[in-house]
Amino acid sequence: MAAQNKIWRQLTWTWKPASERDAGDAVVRNLLLHWFPAKVTIGSLSFRYSFWLGTISAVLFGILCITGVPLMFLYVPSVERAYQSVKDIEFVVSFGWFIRALHRLSAHLMVAVVFLHMVRVFFTGAYKNGTAANQARPVNWVIGVAMMLATFFLSFTGYLLPWDQLAYWAVTVGTNIASAAPLVGDKIRFLLLGGNQIEQNTLLRFYVLHCFFLPAFVLFLFLWHMWRVRKDGGLASVDKLSLEQKRQTLPPVKSKTYSLLGITKGRTVHVETALVNEDEHTVNSSPFLTRRILMVTLATVAVICLLALLVATPLEEAANPRVTPNPAKAPWYFLWLQELVTDTTVKLGDFTINGALIGGILVPGLLIALLAVWPWLDKSPVQAVGVWFAAQRRRQNLVFLGILVVVLALTVVGTFLRGPYWLFFWPWEAWPEMPGPF
Amino acid sequence: MKSQTEASARGDSRRGWLHKLGIGGLLAGVTGMGYAFVRALVPNVLYEAPQRFKAGTPDQFPEGATFLEDQRVFIVREQRTFHAISAACTHLGCTVKMVSLNQPKKVAIGGREVEETREFHCPCHGSKYYGDGTNFAGPAPKPLACYRVELAPEDGQLMVNLDEPVSRGFRLTV
Repeated sequence: MAAQNKIWRQLTWTWKPASERDAGDAVVRNLLLHWFPAKVTIGSLSFRYSFWLGTISAVLFGILCITGVPLMFLYVPSVERAYQSVKDIEFVVSFGWFIRALHRLSAHLMVAVVFLHMVRVFFTGAYKNGTAANQARPVNWVIGVAMMLATFFLSFTGYLLPWDQLAYWAVTVGTNIASAAPLVGDKIRFLLLGGNQIEQNTLLRFYVLHCFFLPAFVLFLFLWHMWRVRKDGGLASVDKLSLEQKRQTLPPVKSKTYSLLGITKGRTVHVETALVNEDEHTVNSSPFLTRRILMVTLATVAVICLLALLVATPLEEAANPRVTPNPAKAPWYFLWLQELVTDTTVKLGDFTINGALIGGILVPGLLIALLAVWPWLDKSPVQAVGVWFAAQRRRQNLVFLGILVVVLALTVVGTFLRGPYWLFFWPWEAWPEMPGPF
Repeated sequence: MKSQTEASARGDSRRGWLHKLGIGGLLAGVTGMGYAFVRALVPNVLYEAPQRFKAGTPDQFPEGATFLEDQRVFIVREQRTFHAISAACTHLGCTVKMVSLNQPKKVAIGGREVEETREFHCPCHGSKYYGDGTNFAGPAPKPLACYRVELAPEDGQLMVNLDEPVSRGFRLTV
């Protein structure tokens, strides 16, 4: 009975702590909450600071993992049966359409939300170290960039699985961009596809990547990401708070060293809190953080469920390598690249500069490389940490915003304004009649 | 003082009620979702081979037992009568082999003396069955199953229904 009680207490916690000690115990003694701080600053709970985009990404990842399990039971990763099994999930399996819709919408939304999370972190300068000891926020930013790329790749590998025309040609276009990389491009594509064409090998490779390898990779990076957030003393807004406090020259502030849950003696393994007046600026994580996480989770689940009821999940004809739809488009989050590829294909007399190299490899490669090293190039002062649109970072924010606008504009053009033969059409213009496949 | 306590008690109970409603809603949602996920794993359509199949016209079958490999069933013809005996051993499901006897042997089945020309022997654990499917040796707990045989009205083929076991005395007379 006592043992049961202990297990119960390690899995649940009080939402209504009666004392400070209760509140601390809820976090420290609990398996599910032990990675939370005992106290959080009020500022880092603010919706307007972070928009909770990271939490929403994590919730979406959770929904994807959970809905992915029944789908894995129902889906057959074989060229002969993949399409039929997805068709059955959509039309025959009880609630299959709902589970598939939840999975698909969460995936699309996760791509968007993870991207927005990155944008938020950039505009708030949250990848920068503050004044506390042992911070390594730039490392966490790089982990985040890796997670974003993994998210794109997760979505992309999932895109092929229905094995319909949409899936087949989107992946054809997407993987052909990879082959434009100099020297190794064709080899990369060959390895990715397990051959020269999208066939059984490709389907199985994408399936294993999608269901095991990439989720495990993202989960590992997620754990590292959260661990770093703790080691870096919480969100960047905490550093801003401690700076402001110093400027106010308040009476000396309690500085604490938590030894690792009291297990280790001495100061070898420790977490130093930023120098923040706890009484004034912090609240107990239980219930103030847990309650907000619950609300964000519920809201995300509710929105996804609602969307799943309202938005139909497409399933086109079965994949047919002999019939290319016109236009053939990559997944929406790669359409800015496809648009760039078209726009950068230049003919100089007999000589053609292949746009796939510029738009497909050089530009995105350069952007990702820049993203990864940016924290070390950003020399702005510590006052710009954790502040939206800090004056000291105006120039880089404007450049970032410019790139953002171009990427979004190219995405919009590629998604909505391109018709057959990748010709430009306004939304109100009708596309010309295309001859049928036969 | 008393009214205050009552008020606070009322407030508490309202809050308590809302709290229970919230938890209840959450549980209902999780349960519903869980039901949907589990229900999705119960097949609505099966792509298995049909249990009712056409085996061919009666004149295609020679006298005696013919083994249909795909359906694991023996079609037994005795002049103008037909019946079907399952080839799945009732012990652990191995496929039994037919053994034709060189000399007819007289055996007692259920107190009745019958002349046997064939037996069914299981290669896995040595169970043995008489020609009519009655088990007489080895670990088999019961006789081989017999299935309904009928004539398809449209083309006169023998139609076997593996979903419909019949008694061992069942015979289709053509």
